[in-house]
Order: sequence, then C-alpha cells, then structure tokens
Amino acid sequence: METTTVFLVLILLTVISFLTGRKRSHAVTSGQGGARALHSLPKHYGYMAGLWALLPALTVLVLWLLFESSILASIVKDDMPGELWQMSESEQGLYFNQVVGYARGATDADMLDPAQIVAGDHYRALAESSRVIKALLVFVIALLGALLAIRRIHPKLRARNHVEKIFKWLLFSCSLLAVLTTLGIVLSVLFEAIRFFQAIPIADFLFGLQWSPQTAIRADQVAASGSFGIVPLFVGTLLISTVAMIIAVPVGLMSAIYLSEYATRRFRAFTKPVLEILAGVPTVVYGFFAALTVAPFIRNVGEALGLHVASESALAAGLVMGIMIIPFVMSLSDDIINAVPDTMREASLGMGATMNETIRKVLLPAALPGIVGGILLAVSRAIGETMIVVMAAGLSARLTINPLEAVTTITVQIVTLLVGDQEFDNPKTLAAFALGLVLFFVTLLLNIIALYVVRKYREQYE
Amino acid sequence: MLVTEADYLLAAGEKKMKSSESKGAAATREVGNKRSLDIREHVEQDDYRTIGSPFVDDAKMTARNVNVFYDEKQAITNVSLDIGRNEVIAMIGPSGCGKSTFLRTLNRMNDIIPSCRVQGEFALDGEDIYGEEQDTVLLRARVGMVFQKPNPFPKSIYENVAYGPRIHGLAHNKSEMDEIVEDSLRRASLFEEVKEQLDKPGTGLSGGQQQRLCIARAIAVSPEVILMDEPCSALDPIATARIEELIDELKENYTIAIVTHSMQQAARVSQRTAYFHMGKLIEVGDTKQIFTMPAHQLTENYITGRFG
Repeated sequence: METTTVFLVLILLTVISFLTGRKRSHAVTSGQGGARALHSLPKHYGYMAGLWALLPALTVLVLWLLFESSILASIVKDDMPGELWQMSESEQGLYFNQVVGYARGATDADMLDPAQIVAGDHYRALAESSRVIKALLVFVIALLGALLAIRRIHPKLRARNHVEKIFKWLLFSCSLLAVLTTLGIVLSVLFEAIRFFQAIPIADFLFGLQWSPQTAIRADQVAASGSFGIVPLFVGTLLISTVAMIIAVPVGLMSAIYLSEYATRRFRAFTKPVLEILAGVPTVVYGFFAALTVAPFIRNVGEALGLHVASESALAAGLVMGIMIIPFVMSLSDDIINAVPDTMREASLGMGATMNETIRKVLLPAALPGIVGGILLAVSRAIGETMIVVMAAGLSARLTINPLEAVTTITVQIVTLLVGDQEFDNPKTLAAFALGLVLFFVTLLLNIIALYVVRKYREQYE
Repeated sequence: MLVTEADYLLAAGEKKMKSSESKGAAATREVGNKRSLDIREHVEQDDYRTIGSPFVDDAKMTARNVNVFYDEKQAITNVSLDIGRNEVIAMIGPSGCGKSTFLRTLNRMNDIIPSCRVQGEFALDGEDIYGEEQDTVLLRARVGMVFQKPNPFPKSIYENVAYGPRIHGLAHNKSEMDEIVEDSLRRASLFEEVKEQLDKPGTGLSGGQQQRLCIARAIAVSPEVILMDEPCSALDPIATARIEELIDELKENYTIAIVTHSMQQAARVSQRTAYFHMGKLIEVGDTKQIFTMPAHQLTENYITGRFG
C-alpha cells in the first residue's frame, strides 16, 4: 500500500474513532441523566479517542519512513558478495545506487552486472514486504490506540484535561522541532567550517586582505594559489548594507510616522497594502531592476559628472536593496508607533505641543526600542540579501569603501563557491561553510546588540 | 466646607428616602409616570431649554449653541454654557452624555479626532477659540488639561514638568527652569514627596502622585483655565482627597472645569454644577442648589442615585 493511502486511511480511522468516542460517552451515561453526568463535553471524549488513534500510529509511520531506506540498504548490502567492499566509498555509493535504481525500475538490467541484478531483486522483495508491514503496523496501532481510549471512557474520566494536555505536548513538540532544526543547521555548518579551518588557518581567514578562492582541483590545473581572506568580503557587505540603510531607515521611518500620525484612514488603508506588496516582490526581480536599470543609470550620471563608475557598483546594489527594505522598516516602525498609547499624544498635544514636537519628544523616544529592534532586523536582512548583490554588485573581491566601484559580499561568494565543479574535500568548497558561519555570528551579534539597546534606552510607558 | 458637603449629601439622601419610604414604591412609580421621565429615555423635544443659570456676568469662557458630531452621530445638542472666572464648575451626567466631549471642545482637543465636527461659538476672554487667527498651540497653553488616567511621559519627573515650558520657550536658562519646575510641583503639592528623586521616571510614582505630576505639568505653563476630565476616576479615596484639596487651592489662581462621575466630588469641589443628559445640557446652577433642590426631574433622578 502506498504511503499516501496509508495516511488517508489513518485519517479516516481517526475520524471514526472521534465519532465512536463521542457516541460512547453518550452511551455510558444513558442511565444517569445523559451528557450532564459526564465530567467533560462529549466532544472531548471524541477528541481523546481520535488523538489516541492518530498520534501513536502517525509517529510509527514517520519513523518508519525515516529509517526504511537505510535499513533496507544495509540488509541488502550484507547479503551482497564481498567484492563490493574492495571499492572506494564513493564507488560503492554509485554501485549501490544502480541497485536501488534497478529495484525501482528506473535502470535497465542490461547496464548492470549479475550481482547487482540479484541484489536489486532482493531489494525489491524486501521493499514490498516493508510496505505491507508498514501498513499493517500503522493500522493495528491506530486501532489499538482507539480501542484503549474508547474502553477508558467513563463519566468520571477527565477527558477535557486529558485532551488539553495532549495539545500542550503537541505544541511543545512543534516548537522543539523548530529549535532542533535550527541547531542542526548551525552544527552542520560548524563542522564543515572546522574542516575548512584545518586546511586554512583561522587567522588567515579572518584577517587576510586577499580573497581569491580558485584553487586547483587537479594537479595539472593552472589556478591561483587560493587565498581566503574574508576582509574584502566583509567590507563589501558592510558597504552595501550601509548604503541600503542610509536609504531605508530615513525613508521608512518617516513614512511610518506619516502613515501613523498624519495620514487619513483612507490613505492608510490604501498605502499599507501597496507597500506590503512591495515587500513581497521576489528579490531576483529587484536584482535585475538593479542590474539593468539602476546600475547603468548611475554610471551615466557619474560619467556626466566626470566620475569613474563601474558598470556594476555597490551604490546600485545598495540603492535597490534600500528600496527593498523600506517597506520592512516602515511596517515595523508603523506598528510600534501605533502601539504608543493615545494618552501620550493627548498629554503632549494638550500642553500645546505641535504634532512635530509630540512626535520628536514623546512618540519617538517611547517607540525607540521597537524602532531600533526593527532597524537591526532590517540590517540582518541587508547583510543576508543575495540576489540583488549577485546581479548588481559584481564578483570582484576588491578592498574598497568607494561605493562607485564593484565589490562583492559574503553571500555572493557563498553562491559562487557552490556553483560549478567542486569537490567536497577542497578548501574552496568548504570556505562556503566558513562564510556561512561568519554570517551567522554577525547576525547573532546584531541581535544581541539590538536587545541591549532596547533594554538600555527603553522609556517605559504602561 | 466639610459641614456643607455633608449637608448636601444628607439632603439628597433624605429626599430619596422620603420619596421611596413615605409614599411607598407604587406611589413613586405613579409620580414617575406622571412626569414620564426615565433617565434612560431619550429627551424627545428638539428645542429643549436648559434650566437654571447657564450664563454668568464675569465669564472666563463662553460657549454658545454648541453642536458636536462624530461622523453622523450627534454627541452634543445645542449647549450654551459660561464658565466663570476663578470658579470650579463641575460637569456631571451619565456615561455618554457628552460632558467629556464638551470639555474637550474648550481647548480644541477634539481637533485631533478626524471624524469630529464642532459647531457653535466659543470664546476665551472674548476671543474666538475656533477663529481663523486662533492658534491651538497658544490656546492650549492658556487652557490646560488633565486627563482621566494619569499619563506622565516616560521621562524623569523633572522632564515631565519641564516639557511644557520647553516647548513654549518659557525659561531662558537652567535656573529659571529649575524654578518653574519646583514652583509647579509645589503648587501641585507634590514637591516635598519627590524632591529627592526628580531624575527618576515619572511613571514610577504611585497613581495619585502621577496625577498630581500631571497637574504640575499642566500648571507649569501658567494656564488660565484647567480642564479636568475625571481626574480621580483611576485613584483610591486617599489620593482623591489630595487632588480635591489641590483643586480647592488652585481655584485661587485658575478657572477650573471638572468632569466627574462622583456626585460627592462635584458637591465637594465645585461652586457651579452642570448636568448633561444624552448630549443636552439639562440644568445648570449653584452646586448647593443643584444638589438640594434640583429643578428638573432628570437631574433629581440622577443625583438621588435613582438611576445610572
């Protein structure tokens, strides 16, 4: 039976258990004044039965799916002739992939050797029985769970509390999943980065002024010696982010102030959704807007002024990135300024302060922590932004703070390192993980600073 | 002062007791039917007339034929009222009767509500409040306001009081500002309690202290009139008593209009009382007279606590 079918039948069983549980709750109290004699509402007994049918069976199904292929593979490999183990690890993988491909009918038999065909048939037989066992196991567990729950139904059973507790744990496990996933990503980046630092000293990486990661993959290739100094990338990232923030913060903040304090309700109702659409434009669209429209425009203007402007410049990328971030800053600041209680506005206006004075002296100080938090979030976004920079800022790792020149950023280099021919035991590829780790730490640092600033400069209103 | 207060309340209480006990419940209902005035009923007639004396000889502020609308809904209907110089006038009435709205028209605080429309003639010392050349900044410096919930800024106590003088440029140097701050806090009888902690946030004070801080903030710009919108509704009885004493002291120098839900408070602090009902000004008169011999049935029903 296919997994989808198993899942659908499981859902059906859950619904049936729910209905049965509810019905049973009526049945057990039929002699004692009906539903009034129950501790909980009939639907709670239904939920309880349904959850007991669904959750254990679903857990088994997920675990089965997670480990099915690796267990099958190890059984089949154990039964294969010994010659397999004389091959190198990557050849083994390839060889075995053909077996699996044959078992699934994706690879033709005439391309394989006899041993592979035997193993493939073995694999197919095992997979067939695995499918049957999986379906049976899931159904049995679901039925058992439901039966167990339904048998327990009794007027005194605290089904409501029981269901509430199950939901609490369900929500908890979801949040745990998110945390564990993040942790997993960080750890995998960390381990690959450590492998990189075994090849390249960490000091060279952090303080080197040269970035040219093109190392030779084969001995006879002609390539640069490979120098992995992150400083030019870091400066490029900061340069572009700074240009972006110079655009985004004033424009975003001021439009937030206009929207929350001055704009009529109708204007606001029209403008906010429009700006939120702007925030939803895919960054790649901003990217070619930057590369095809803004960058040439800046170059032409620069040339008219007698300046030398590269055709891909930090200025163009930063400008467009700033425009991309405006709605982000605006939307956050607007929410925060709106959250300042009206009593503050009334107090200030009632003293004879103008709108302008009220905003500068009362609203902004009160909203400051939130605004700073919003801006730092925006900075994190600017630092992590990739597509615009790939398309508009160029690839040359030049150490400069002149926004009219082409620069490159950490994210762009991660993209270029992982595109094209590569080996996973080569520093060039591993450098991407080291760069990722640096990005992660920079963002973390920004968040910590944001928290500190928020706490320190908070003007507490009730 | 205390004796007279008690008198008002006793008188009001006696009246209530007499009407309900001596005549009996049925008789009361009969009387009620005859005059057909339940406080919850709409006052039907359009051209009602305010009973009592809405006008005074020496008026600080005057309001004539005031109508206020929120979008299409009329909140105040044809109200005319004078506020006398250096008097405390109390505005009472059930919730939603328009007393707060009326108070806010006096320093144009309703301007900041987009849907609000104000009609009528208002004057402060004969000067048109809603006129072309009137500036709300200067108007609000002359007509200050204290709000229902204490709303100190999340700044230090000193900065709270200095806020008004700063925006109006009243002090030329630090020592002048110090003087204004200290003087205002003294007048609000708060200085002794906070003199050691002027740089601490105003939001850290107790509710009653916060409200006195707000009063200090309001008087720091030397207004001529202070509007108080239920200034004690969020405070306990002890803090309320402090504020009431303060109002009594302040009336030497200021004209005060106070909206309150507490009839005892109106009786204690005011010289004149105005009773609002469903956006209409039903009755105005000397506080003593309003609380002992109300002329209008609605007023009587309200002050005897029969409704609301």
